[in-house]
Amino acid sequence: MKPRWLSLLLIATLGLTACSEAPPQVHKAKLFTLGTLVDVSVLHPNEATAQQAVKIVEDELAIINSQWHAWRDSPLTLINQQLAQGKTVTINSVSHHFLQQAQTLAANSNQLFNPAIGSLVSLWGFHHDDRPDGAPPVKEKIAAALKQAPSMANITLTETTLASNNPAVQFDFGAFGKGYAIDRAVEQLKLAGIENAIVNAGGDLRAIGAKGDRPWRIGVRHPIEAGVIASIETNGDESVFTSGNYERFFDFDGKRYHHIINPRSGYPANDAISVTVIHNNAATADAAATALFIAGETEWPQIAKQMGIDEVMLIGNDLTIHMTPKMAQRIQLEIDDAQVNIIAGDS
Amino acid sequence: MTRADYCAVLFATLLLPYLYINQWTGDEAGISAAIMNGSETTEISLAHDHTLEINGALGTSIIKIEDGKIRFVASPCLGKQCIHSGWLEHAGEFAACLPNRISVAVLGEEPRFDSINF
Amino acid sequence: MSEKPNSATATKNGITITTTAEDHLIAWLAALAIAIHIIESVLPSPLPGVKPGLANVITIAVFILYGWRTAVWVSMLRVLVGSILIGTFLSPTFMLSFSGAVASLIVLWLASRLPGEGLGPIGLCLITAMAHMFGQFYTAYLLFIPHDGLFKLLPLLMTAAVVFGIISGIIVRSMLLHLEKRKNNTTASATAQRNEQEE
Repeated sequence: MKPRWLSLLLIATLGLTACSEAPPQVHKAKLFTLGTLVDVSVLHPNEATAQQAVKIVEDELAIINSQWHAWRDSPLTLINQQLAQGKTVTINSVSHHFLQQAQTLAANSNQLFNPAIGSLVSLWGFHHDDRPDGAPPVKEKIAAALKQAPSMANITLTETTLASNNPAVQFDFGAFGKGYAIDRAVEQLKLAGIENAIVNAGGDLRAIGAKGDRPWRIGVRHPIEAGVIASIETNGDESVFTSGNYERFFDFDGKRYHHIINPRSGYPANDAISVTVIHNNAATADAAATALFIAGETEWPQIAKQMGIDEVMLIGNDLTIHMTPKMAQRIQLEIDDAQVNIIAGDS
Repeated sequence: MTRADYCAVLFATLLLPYLYINQWTGDEAGISAAIMNGSETTEISLAHDHTLEINGALGTSIIKIEDGKIRFVASPCLGKQCIHSGWLEHAGEFAACLPNRISVAVLGEEPRFDSINF
Repeated sequence: MSEKPNSATATKNGITITTTAEDHLIAWLAALAIAIHIIESVLPSPLPGVKPGLANVITIAVFILYGWRTAVWVSMLRVLVGSILIGTFLSPTFMLSFSGAVASLIVLWLASRLPGEGLGPIGLCLITAMAHMFGQFYTAYLLFIPHDGLFKLLPLLMTAAVVFGIISGIIVRSMLLHLEKRKNNTTASATAQRNEQEE
């Protein structure tokens, strides 16, 4: 009779201690592609399916990387050469879709998102995976590049052809390609039946579904200090993209030069420290984060409205956090004593 | 002491180690970091100071662990982004030397965030 | 134990309740339990919620001597009166104390249903101390700190509960032996007296 109560008690005790639940198993993998580290998280009860999903993402990203790489020999560099020579390029429907989206986004951003300034970006030395510290380009060269004013407005696009009336147009889709690639990868995941995943390419991500019975929690890194400045819980299918002055840069003579070139000035944009955007479509979020970063503290609300973005957080040079009302509702600040400015919204 | 008393004591003696193992292992009482070199990942505790030399695709990166923090101190890349990232301390913090294919991620108990946007 | 029921008689001056010697002893023990409770509340503890739990000595001694119901009385009196006197009535501290006491009493009831010899003072103190700690811990987790990290403390708390449980058990045992001896001496001397008288 003694063993009976003993085992009951033991079971009860064990039952109680098992009360801290194990979190659902997320399969994580890291890939090196798109010129950066890509983090894929897949939530699926079957480990083999999850691994297969990662492979799908890897393959899709590799395809896009090889097609649209701005400086290694690729179909894109070929296009750039032909456009420089004033030739009309024949394109397929995939490229058409890609270019059309880029063109629309550029127009909506008043050409602040300008993927046609490849030569300017190259001038600044950012057409290498790794830019050594060295002198910035001389201002005459910058002025010359600016004068040529290449933009997506110079492009004539049809279903099968692409032409430019400005030989200075050189495509560099750095501000858009990653988002586009993530969109494609996520579509492939959905086709494969994956409903809960995050594809994070160098810090910019799109998350679908949720982590079991709680949403995916995204931490937004502080632009200056270590740690997280804010957190977001994604809802359904959403992309979170941030453009900042700390991502790719070089230092010279005590000054920092980062890779987001303002197409109006020819110099790295300096009216903000970072911009974070939430939007369904990753390509849009990507272009918008760049455009709004360039727009800076004063112009960003207008550009955001034009681009159809209503969840924006911009961190100004004085560390003031500017937000749209919708962003203020979603985002949770993880720091104390933040100076916050929520702009007027129209509901 | 009765027979039942001995059973009770036995039960307690079995329960205690079970609780310790159950609640205290799995993640160290301290934080660790995952160092990824190409496709291999090694986990290392941040509890003890170390200087590590990791051979990556380009050459040797030197990673230092001190006072529960970790950072790149030297790397064969040109841009030195990895070094610019500074000391990593909290779970989720991350630095990578992409040209050398080496990355460092700080691990915690249950990571607060599923992904970091930057 | 022969328990003479309390009798209440109504007189024209009000209601008089006659108390037995047993009632006095129980009240005295309850007061002692409360005193221990209060003293322990003042002690600094290395970990929040870790107290030697020596008031349990009283509860278990009462259980052994007077049964479960009386133990419930003494225990509840301890928690309620103790918290009122300290000033923590209905506070989180009170909830923890209360839930610990309830858990401990439930386990005590189960122990009282054991066939045969059942548990001695050491076993009783041990399992009630553990139950008390569990009760407190889960109340803290559910109501105050629903953080998984709290579980890191559980092994330490349970170790303390086991150690102090066994210590309390030893104290109860010697207390009971002491009481037995005194009773035997009194019975022996009473018997001796009666024998003398009869002669």
